[in-house]
Amino acid sequence: MPVFSPGRNAPGAVAPVPSRGRAVTVAAVWGSFVTAVLVAAPLMLRDRLPDPLATHWSGGSVPDGNASFGVALVFSVALWAVIWAGLLGSALHGAVLRARLPRVHWWGFLLGGAVFALGMQAVTLNANLDAATWHEALLPGWHVAVVIAASAAAGVLAGYLGRGEPDRVPDRSSADKPIMRLRPGQRAVWVSRVSNPWLIGLTTTALLAAMVITGLAVLGVLEATAAWIALAVSIPIGLMGVATATVQTRVDAEGLRVGFGPWGRPARRTPADAIESAWAERRSPAEVGGWGIRVVPGSGRTTLMLRGGDVLVIRRTGGGEFAVSADDAERGAALLNAYIAETAGS
Amino acid sequence: MLLTLDLNDLRPLHEQVAGAIRRAIADGSYAPGDRLPPARDLAGALGINANTVLRALRDLRDEGLLEFRRGRGVSVLGRPDAHAVLVEAARELLAEADRYGYGPEEVIHIIRELS
Repeated sequence: MPVFSPGRNAPGAVAPVPSRGRAVTVAAVWGSFVTAVLVAAPLMLRDRLPDPLATHWSGGSVPDGNASFGVALVFSVALWAVIWAGLLGSALHGAVLRARLPRVHWWGFLLGGAVFALGMQAVTLNANLDAATWHEALLPGWHVAVVIAASAAAGVLAGYLGRGEPDRVPDRSSADKPIMRLRPGQRAVWVSRVSNPWLIGLTTTALLAAMVITGLAVLGVLEATAAWIALAVSIPIGLMGVATATVQTRVDAEGLRVGFGPWGRPARRTPADAIESAWAERRSPAEVGGWGIRVVPGSGRTTLMLRGGDVLVIRRTGGGEFAVSADDAERGAALLNAYIAETAGS
Repeated sequence: MLLTLDLNDLRPLHEQVAGAIRRAIADGSYAPGDRLPPARDLAGALGINANTVLRALRDLRDEGLLEFRRGRGVSVLGRPDAHAVLVEAARELLAEADRYGYGPEEVIHIIRELS
C-alpha cells in the first residue's frame, strides 16, 4: 500500500540555498554603495542647483513639476530603498534564489534597479544643473530613453551572469512514481478544484472597471478613445482572470481533464495513452515565473499556477511536461498512473 | 478527492457516494477545515446526477462529518468514527471475497483464524 502525503496543501520541507550568503553580502554592500552615491551626489552639487528643483516632465523637455531639494533627495533615495529592501528581504528569505528563473530576476533587478535609480537621479540633476530657476531645467527625452535602455541592459547582463546552475530536474524513474491498484468492477475518479481568491478579486475589479468605463462612455463623460484604450486593457485581463483564477482537474479512465474557469469550460483533455507518467510535486509561483499559464523558456515545461504548493505533473509520451495546481495531487497522480498502466496493458 | 464506486454494489447510489467520500476523508485526503470539491464537480466526474451527490453530502453532514457554509461550500468538520470506517472496510472485504467465490461465513472464519 503506497503511503500518501496529506491531500491538503501543507507546506513541505525546505532545502537550504547554497548561494544565499553570497547574494545577501553582495546586496548589502552594493545597496549601501548605491544609497551613498544617491545621497552624496545631490549634496555635492547643491550650490549649482536651483531650489526648488524641477522633478517632473510630461512628454516634452519643459518641466511641469517641482520639489524642494530635501523632498527630491528623499524621493530619489526612497525609489532605490524600496527596490533594495525587497531584494534584500527576498534573499534573506532564500526561496527566490533556489530556482534559476527567480534567481535571474533577482540579479537583474539588483543591478538594473540600481542603474535605473542612479540614472534617473543623474538626468534630473543634469537638467537642473546651473539653471536659474526650475522652469529653465530642460530635460531632453532621449536622456530618459538612455537610462531605461541602460538599466534594461544592465539587468539582462546581471541576470545572465547570476543565473547559476540549471535547476536540478528530479529523476522520475518508474520506481518512485505513485501508483494504486485498480480492482475490476470498480469505478475510480479523482477531482480537485483550486481557486486563487486574489486572482478572482483582480478579475472582478477588472470586469467592474470595464462596466463602469462603458457606462461613462455611453453617458459621454469619458472620451471615446480613452474608453476604448481602457476597455482594451480591462476586458482581456478580466477574461484571462475568469479562465485561470479557478481550475478543475479530473482524472478518470479517459485520462486527465483540466477545466478552466468556474464552470470547468473550456476544458483540455489528455488521454491516458498520450501520457507517459504522472507525479506530484511542490512548486512556487517564483519558480515558474508567476501565476496563470507559465512556460519556463527552453524547458518544455508548462505550469498552470494558481498558488504555491502541490501540483499534479504529467509527462506526455511525445515529450514535454504539463503541471497544474491541485490539492491531493499525489492521489490524482497515483490514479492516473494506474489508468496509464491499464491502457498500456490492454 | 479520490472516489471509488463498486459497480456490483446494490445499495442506493447516494449511499455508495457517501461511503466513497467517507473513505476519502478517513484515509487523510482531506483534514478537518479543508474544503471539498463542489458537488457539481464530483457528480460530473462520476457521471451521475448532482442531486445524488448532494444527498450523499447531506447525509454526511447529518453524521457530523461535513459542514455546509454559505458562500464557502462544503468543508470537513471531523473525522469519521471508527465504526463507520470499519463497516465501509468490511463491505469492501466482502465484495472482494465475493469475487473469489467466498461467502460471508468463510470470511468470518478467516477473521477468527487471524485473531
